[in-house]
Amino acid sequence: MIGFDAIFTSFSAAFHYQSITVILGGVLLGYIVGVIPGLNRSVAIAIAIPLTFYMSAYAAIAFLIGLSKGTAAGSAVSAILLNTPGEPSSAATCLDGYPMASAGKPRKALKVGLLASVIGDLLATLLLIVVAIPFAAVALKFGPYELAAILIFALVFIAGMAGGSFLKGLAAGGMGVILGTVGLDPETGAMRLTFGYAELMEGVPILPLVIGTLALSEMFVQLDEYRRNKDAAVIKLGNSADDDLSYGEFKGTLPTILKSTGIGAFVGALPGLGPSVGAFMAYGVAKRSAKDPDSFGKGNPNGIAAAEAADNAVIPASYIPLFGLGIPGSVSAALLVGAFMIHGIQVGPLMLRDHPEMLFTIFSGMIVASLLMLAVGWYGLRIFAKVTSVPPHIVISVVIFLCLAGIQVQGYGTFGLIVVFGFAIFGYFLKKLDYSFVTFLVAFIVTPMLEMNLRQSIILSGGEISILLDRPIALVFVVITVLMVLHLGWSSYRRWMQVRRQVPQV
Amino acid sequence: MIRTNFWSGLGTALLAVVLLAWLIPTYGGGGFAIGMQPQRLATLGAWLILGCSITLALISAVALLRRSAPFIVMPNVGQLWHMLWPFLYVLGFIVLVDRFPLTWVAPLLIGGLLLILGERRWYLLLPVAVVPALGLYVLTAHLMRIGVV
Repeated sequence: MIGFDAIFTSFSAAFHYQSITVILGGVLLGYIVGVIPGLNRSVAIAIAIPLTFYMSAYAAIAFLIGLSKGTAAGSAVSAILLNTPGEPSSAATCLDGYPMASAGKPRKALKVGLLASVIGDLLATLLLIVVAIPFAAVALKFGPYELAAILIFALVFIAGMAGGSFLKGLAAGGMGVILGTVGLDPETGAMRLTFGYAELMEGVPILPLVIGTLALSEMFVQLDEYRRNKDAAVIKLGNSADDDLSYGEFKGTLPTILKSTGIGAFVGALPGLGPSVGAFMAYGVAKRSAKDPDSFGKGNPNGIAAAEAADNAVIPASYIPLFGLGIPGSVSAALLVGAFMIHGIQVGPLMLRDHPEMLFTIFSGMIVASLLMLAVGWYGLRIFAKVTSVPPHIVISVVIFLCLAGIQVQGYGTFGLIVVFGFAIFGYFLKKLDYSFVTFLVAFIVTPMLEMNLRQSIILSGGEISILLDRPIALVFVVITVLMVLHLGWSSYRRWMQVRRQVPQV
Repeated sequence: MIRTNFWSGLGTALLAVVLLAWLIPTYGGGGFAIGMQPQRLATLGAWLILGCSITLALISAVALLRRSAPFIVMPNVGQLWHMLWPFLYVLGFIVLVDRFPLTWVAPLLIGGLLLILGERRWYLLLPVAVVPALGLYVLTAHLMRIGVV
């Protein structure tokens, strides 16, 4: 097990000026992306992955984690000043943030949001460190039966919980599985669905896939919506002393922040739910438990604190299944897996055995990122408030260029550009038709691992399914998966029956 | 949304049928395997898509029939064009990038899109179109030394 020396070394590495510079770059970029409405975390990470090719593995991951955290905190700025969330998960922040800013207290609203973000993020990071390591230590004892059962369970769970229709979620998962099998078969050496393209021998290249489905497709959606968007009025920051956050006011929001952090961390640890669910759930709990629930929606600082603390707590917590079991529970976690893969590291419990120093350095880097988030947000408040006025058509044009540049810089050439374009069309329809994107991406990422574990299980058992009776953990997960499919199917049926009785919207 | 679900269910079902009947058997790989056949997981994925999409299409069809709503509503041509042109625009530039370096084409790509989207202020248009391409040039030709891409 890891000793005190290793922890000390990892913290020294994370606090080195080079490390701080990289993380600061990530947080800063993330903050700017978060502030700009229409650009979200997934788009930012997808575009930034090519930039990390020339960094060391640790620097790359630290940069992307900083970016991820920065977007979550930055999205509150546009939610509060523009009433337009930078990220969908900040929609709950708009409910009280914008009314408070409109009432002449924009700085106060922004500071409540920032402090709640930082505290939520920091506490959830500490929880991740405390939980992920014992989790990974247990997971290391699992064999192929257990891992295959857990992966199938996670996929079904994500398909059911990622929002929208369960059927569409499963179908999206199926698409991810098929794309995940493309390339050389590890056992027979047969080419699978490569259509003679040598570029597909090692599978569908992850970078064109994520840039196409996440970033470029999102720009097509934005272009489609651009003509419908009206110019929103930005609230300017003033210098009024009444608009500053006092210690007493901050103290008043602290219980809400702590409670919402707990909710966000719980939601984040469950794969597939995402920060929007966490933020709205925490907002609802804060409103129900408040003495003056009527003040919510009219500029109550507790509303901002609840939404932001939960939103930011979800992200580090969503890395618990990632580092503990190797299962990415969110789009950003799936993208991190891609970044790890590019740097030749298998993320998951094996990291604890093979790269423990790196794991601890990443955790330390996450704490550094949380602290930098506070500094960047606090001192850059006025600058970020100005960034909200960047017109969307400029953002869209530049991001489309960055998508193509990312592919060209990595030397994928015309093949990469065609793949990126194909996946942009695919991603566009996934979004427009409301097919679960997270299930697709997670299925694509975990399919090689799932296939390997299934294959080993079949070889070891000689095709005997009764072997599951000797593997209680695997059996439990198989039973839970079956029960969950039945439950989700039944809930979908009941929801459909309810909708049938209501006024139709064809 | 019900009509969209019906058509998307039908579309994905068709895709799954094509996968099961042609693509996976022909291009899915073969050979002797002790564990799992190379096509097995992809086939399972395709069956999953087929099952879910047929169910989705059926449920949506029943809902449409119960409401006596039409199955086909022709989309507005203007709306369709508005949805389509960004794809054609980017595809056009991909064809251009196949022949010329992206660095040279980029100002045209960004500037053209800005013009289409209604930007007429030259003092904004010019730097936004040129600076990213310049950045790409410095990055690839001088920092990464991989030549102009």
